[in-house]
Amino acid sequence: MDFVTLGGNLLGTIQLGDIVLYLTPFSLFLFAVLLGFTVLIGLSKPETQVEATMHYLNNTEVKVGPKELKQRRFLAVICGIASAGAMITGDLFNFTLFMALVGILNIGIVSAVKQTSVLNSAFNYGLIAMMCSLPLFGGAAIILAATGTLSLAVLSQMPASPMVVFGAVMMLIGILGESGVAPFFASKAEMFRTAGSPYIVIIHLSSLFIIVRAVEILLLVLW
Amino acid sequence: MRIGVLWNKLAEPKNIPRLFAFSLGIILIIGLIVPLALNPDQLYVRPAPQEQVDEGLAIAPYDRGGVPLKEPGNIDPQYPENAESLGMITGYMSPLAQFVSSISPYFGTSIYSSPGGLIDEILYYTRGFDTILESSILMMAFIIASWLSINYTMNRKNDEDEIKKDVKKAIDDSNKVASQVKANDAKARAKQLRRDN
Repeated sequence: MDFVTLGGNLLGTIQLGDIVLYLTPFSLFLFAVLLGFTVLIGLSKPETQVEATMHYLNNTEVKVGPKELKQRRFLAVICGIASAGAMITGDLFNFTLFMALVGILNIGIVSAVKQTSVLNSAFNYGLIAMMCSLPLFGGAAIILAATGTLSLAVLSQMPASPMVVFGAVMMLIGILGESGVAPFFASKAEMFRTAGSPYIVIIHLSSLFIIVRAVEILLLVLW
Repeated sequence: MRIGVLWNKLAEPKNIPRLFAFSLGIILIIGLIVPLALNPDQLYVRPAPQEQVDEGLAIAPYDRGGVPLKEPGNIDPQYPENAESLGMITGYMSPLAQFVSSISPYFGTSIYSSPGGLIDEILYYTRGFDTILESSILMMAFIIASWLSINYTMNRKNDEDEIKKDVKKAIDDSNKVASQVKANDAKARAKQLRRDN
């Protein structure tokens, strides 16, 4: 499938050697929304939670300390920028790198939490993210071996061979695990049951946006 | 098995890496029956395997020709207009590299001694943005790890709540162990008594 069919007219390109970023109305919209949200996150204060205890009256406040706040805000902003970059990239390998960056930042945002249940699920998500590097980069490498190129503009004009389909399926399972969609949602869903909401929400938002973009990329490669 | 039981198992974070590893394994096994063949028309050109070794080139399999700053070597970029002077430093070898390649036919087989700027040129010239991303992934990992080790892991021992919790847990554990020992003791004594009678 062509860029124009999926994302609207090509408004321009940003050329960085072999890596060319494509600006279509679709990708620009996603890019702008994510950047706007990142700015909001950078400016906002985190929420606090109250943990109630069964049968007793000792409620505890779960707060984000000043040190923890700085670290999490920094990682959340970088995560927003990284997922915004994944929206406009025009190179398969570049996209997988952005994906891996978002994955490690997602773990980082919750790693400063002191609740063991959250840390436990973050650990389990980390295991998945580690495993995901094989299908993500392996899928991109198989597509490169089958077609001889990584540029999405060239890939979109090529017919898909069984090897390309296999590479795309591998990439798909990598993306599914890394962004934590069903049936691999549990570890990621448990991860953000903690205080510090706007920073936590970027975990969710980045995987949603990346899924949308991944569908576009897989359509470009396969059709 | 009812589907509700299955959903409940899926909601347990502990089970998710196993499920993921299992499904990944299935896809990789399916990959064994997919016909895989290297397309010879590659963007980042490589000579056929063993071709340069059979020719007896000193820096096989990485010989791409070219004279530094005069004649470009054999590299294809995706967008030649973005990389006009690509290949100009491919043929460059440091004096040490020239010396080693003159006395050994195996110089080119180790990647760290890859003669010429081939890897560097693809990485830093045509795919420079990837290099930035790769190193930023590494940097983020270091930031997370160092923050954790400074603020959390190392200071955990001095955290008062943590100490209280640990002491409480230790007391509970030792109580549990003591009562278990007692119970086992009584059981053994009863057994012995029964045997004696």
